[in-house]
Amino acid sequence: MKVQENQAPYMELTDIDKTFGITRALQGVSLKLYAGEVIGLVGPNGAGKSTLMKVITGVLPPTSGSIRIAGKEMTGKYGAKEAKEAGIACAYQDLSLCTNLSVYENFALLNVDHKLVSKAGWRKLARQSAKELLEKYFPNNGIDVMASIEKLSLADRQIVEICKTLMTDNLKVLILDEPTSALSTDKARQLHEVVHQLSSQGVAVIYISHKLDEIQLVSDRIVMMRNGQVTGEFDAQEIGTDELVEKMGGEKKAREQKTEGQDSISAEKMVDVDGLNSSLLKDIHMYVNKGEIVGISGLVGSGQTDLLNAIFRAHKKAGVRTKEGVLVNGTIAYVSGDRSKEGVFQLWDIEDNILIANLDQVKEKGLLSSKKSDSLAQHWYDKLKFRAEGIHSPIMSLSGGNQQKALIARGIASGADLIILNDPTAGVDIETKQEIYSLLDEAKKEGKSIILYSTEDSEIEICDRAYIMHEGAIAEELKGNDITVSNIVAASFKDVGKGKKNDKEEKQENALVRLLKAPTTLPVLTLIVMIFANASMNRNLLSYMGFEMLVGSAVPLVFVALSQMFIVVSGDIDMGNGTAIGLINVLFGVIFTGNPLVGVIGMIIFVAAYVGMGALIHIRRIPAIVVTLGAQYIWLGVALVLCPTPGGSCPEWFMAFYDFAFPLIPMPVVISVAAGLVCYYILKRSKYGMVLRGIGNNPVSVERSGWSYMTARLTNYGIAAVLLILSGMSFTAVCRSADANGATTYQMLSIATIILGGCEMSGGKVVPMGVAAGAVAMTFITTLLTSLRIDSNFQTAVTGGILIAVLAIKLISHRKEANK
Amino acid sequence: MKAKQWVEKHSFIWPLVGTIILWAMIVAVSGRFSMNQLFSCATLASFSLMLGLGQTIVITSGEGAIDLSGTYVLTLAAYISCTVMKQNAILGILAAVAAGALVGLINGIINIYLKVPAMITTLATGYIVFTIVLIAAPHMNSLPNSGFVKLITTNFGGLTVMTLICLAVSALLAVLLYKTKFGKNLHAIGQKREAAKYAGISVPFTVIATFTLAGAIAGFAGVLCGAYIGGAFQDMGTSYFLPAVAAALVGGTLASGGRSSVMGVIFGALMMSFMSTFLNAANLAPGLQRLIQGAVLVLILVASVSKKD
Repeated sequence: MKVQENQAPYMELTDIDKTFGITRALQGVSLKLYAGEVIGLVGPNGAGKSTLMKVITGVLPPTSGSIRIAGKEMTGKYGAKEAKEAGIACAYQDLSLCTNLSVYENFALLNVDHKLVSKAGWRKLARQSAKELLEKYFPNNGIDVMASIEKLSLADRQIVEICKTLMTDNLKVLILDEPTSALSTDKARQLHEVVHQLSSQGVAVIYISHKLDEIQLVSDRIVMMRNGQVTGEFDAQEIGTDELVEKMGGEKKAREQKTEGQDSISAEKMVDVDGLNSSLLKDIHMYVNKGEIVGISGLVGSGQTDLLNAIFRAHKKAGVRTKEGVLVNGTIAYVSGDRSKEGVFQLWDIEDNILIANLDQVKEKGLLSSKKSDSLAQHWYDKLKFRAEGIHSPIMSLSGGNQQKALIARGIASGADLIILNDPTAGVDIETKQEIYSLLDEAKKEGKSIILYSTEDSEIEICDRAYIMHEGAIAEELKGNDITVSNIVAASFKDVGKGKKNDKEEKQENALVRLLKAPTTLPVLTLIVMIFANASMNRNLLSYMGFEMLVGSAVPLVFVALSQMFIVVSGDIDMGNGTAIGLINVLFGVIFTGNPLVGVIGMIIFVAAYVGMGALIHIRRIPAIVVTLGAQYIWLGVALVLCPTPGGSCPEWFMAFYDFAFPLIPMPVVISVAAGLVCYYILKRSKYGMVLRGIGNNPVSVERSGWSYMTARLTNYGIAAVLLILSGMSFTAVCRSADANGATTYQMLSIATIILGGCEMSGGKVVPMGVAAGAVAMTFITTLLTSLRIDSNFQTAVTGGILIAVLAIKLISHRKEANK
Repeated sequence: MKAKQWVEKHSFIWPLVGTIILWAMIVAVSGRFSMNQLFSCATLASFSLMLGLGQTIVITSGEGAIDLSGTYVLTLAAYISCTVMKQNAILGILAAVAAGALVGLINGIINIYLKVPAMITTLATGYIVFTIVLIAAPHMNSLPNSGFVKLITTNFGGLTVMTLICLAVSALLAVLLYKTKFGKNLHAIGQKREAAKYAGISVPFTVIATFTLAGAIAGFAGVLCGAYIGGAFQDMGTSYFLPAVAAALVGGTLASGGRSSVMGVIFGALMMSFMSTFLNAANLAPGLQRLIQGAVLVLILVASVSKKD
């Protein structure tokens, strides 16, 4: 929709500056957003587009400049919350979904009212509205709203992410950052339709894309950015794609002619890649000579990093061509620009960070010499002109640029024949960049080979040769003075023709395969096999009485395993639940039988203590494993104080309840199934259950949707404590006495059980019914071994063996899935 | 500020201060002071120290790794050493250490190649080792070689040979951790495995070697423990698990990996030993002893482990 005359902008940014240290990411950027207008934002990599979007969404405060929304001055008090209130939303490129929750739950997390309970049937409504939402914007999308996100393809996830953003009520400004990078052509077309629709409803859309034809199709106005500045605004109808490409290349950067340095290049090949193919790379042929700097460029995500990794993998066998077809005749050093994930060792100082790849150089009689270490580190410290207090300054106290210097020193100091640089100047100031270039030049003169991948196109100009990649293939090879930003940009958009992105249609799995893959299948199957195995040993076990006896001893494990599950769902682990059961055993069998009121108060204090423990873990960020280990002693200590020697009894009424002759189905079976069902209800059916599971997977996403991470985590600890009380009570009924030390084996057993039950130790993936079935199956295994007259000592080994077997089975099925 | 940084860098100060306070409390309770109090506590600390050192290197390898099999390895090694030492003392030590190393090697291989988290791996192998102990124990000799016992209990001005051996092992481990390439690599993978890979470090080799070494140390602890306490029994390892983990963590070893302190483990183990000696000396009920131990432990962990930001 075109902007009307005299229309006032909804959002107005004036003279925005944003500096990081000495890097100027944005310089005097002014932008007006009008209701109903679609702005196509284009510019080469590193132009400052993402920074600008972060300013608009309130994630980053601008260093200077003013922000006005609907005519109101917002400068100085503009944050993420204000942006949300103003109806500004962004579909993130790094998806912000909880992958363990289903599609509709991810929507519901945001738009269901945040009270603890909702009217019955809200799930049905949520499913319905999720389906409608997806259908409204992406007709015939074929996304199953019941499926969990992790089962979806990347394209479908992107659609869900976009739709989640569209759910923002009072949507006024929508930012789409490379929204079609994973989408097929017809899905992209649907998205363009969505954009038009929104614009006609008066929503301002900022559409960021490297696909210029797409930009022209959807936008009214095209804004071009370069080097942190807006360098042009064009009417989308009036400018052609070629013209855009040309303008993006910009004026040619003054650069001395490449005459010197050519003679250092020898004809000897350092790297030779011959027909490299992978899921992301298509038939790559390239080489690097000795003493040559070769650039890799192209749009972000065209397979550059995969190519670098394939070459790096060859470092294990220098001089031999790998199966992939990569030959490297020498040693390799790798410098990553993703410092926080792949580069710096955050606990170390500059010296250690430089030396880690060069330890052989500072050895003296087989040991590392600190004198040699200091002098080598000092050499590089002086050479690279670090801005720090000295070689022993902690690496994290340095600016990004200085951290990068340490990484480059690490790479060059190693004396490797080939240095691979993966976007080494990301977030580095200009001065440091120049220093890095001259270092590379020096290394080249020494006969080293260098591969430089940069997301900043102008940087490729320092190379002798460059390969421009597009969609996993090499689109063009540029040489010497032909390496200019405009040539790079032109080549980046060149259609390589081969290897079109094909939409992989997921094969519909047949019902049997799906059943076999269901997480409850393994524990239930184990349970059934165990029942038959036990029955074949002893017919009587299939009777009412036999079942009652058998399952009766399993009930404490059912509860403790479910308790462990509630801790694991938040991503933690409980190493002290065995002695905690002992404490409950004492509280119930000794204290409660003496004075019920004191017993009940004791149990309430116990739940409070568990929640307190959770709070300690959350607030002080101590690993749960450590705190629960310590707490183990506290539970045991309290239990021993209350009951130094085994004794006590189980209250009559509880025994009566436990032994109650339930018609047809024995009581312990009823209890076990009920326990599993209640936990299933809490986690998978109740509204708050989504939050309880979500925090174990993506706490940031849960908090963004307006729920408290801490409350949910403490709730999990509280429920776990209640389940431990039930476990301790049933344990008392089984033993008919109390012993502080009697239940310690449950600790390890509970972990083994949840693994058998189909849970994962991280990621919030839990299976309540599987855990209940697994707990009973575990107990049956013990019974079977007893009736087989196998030494009872083997039981622990069987538990260990089951653990490894279950995990091995999982690994194999995961691999198969990954291969698909 | 300076002092704060110094303490942060030398966090073995925490358990050292704890040791001194506890010693003072023992003196106050018992009404007498002697160096023997230190020496006997040091002797008793040996086993938690050994297990703690093994635990430390496993934890330092990062990714939330912890070794739950160490205590069972200690028990198995004690039986093996007692049995083989009937023939030959040296052979007995070697066999026990080799058995420990083998368990560690298996742990490492399962962890790396089956991608099973270290905690689950060692839980499972721990179960299996324990079973071997339960089944094999009745057929094995549980009494130590008297010559070996005599050797390690020999006294040098109060310090037993066993204490000296443990200190020597600690010193060797410190050299390995802080003065060799392997040690640096271990600390690197503990901080960031991806970065370590790009720095040219073989992550699988380092992890497997670390687990193997931890197993070997636990095996050696079994040799000493079996001899010192007068023989092997089936549950002998269990009581050292918590003190060992505590010793590892209170002295500056990061639970998330990448930073270790051998000095911290030494004082950590000593402090744990002083604590139980004090609780015994104070004549408290066993329940109260456990309670105080647990509470103090959690408090120390809150002070030394937690991140403040």
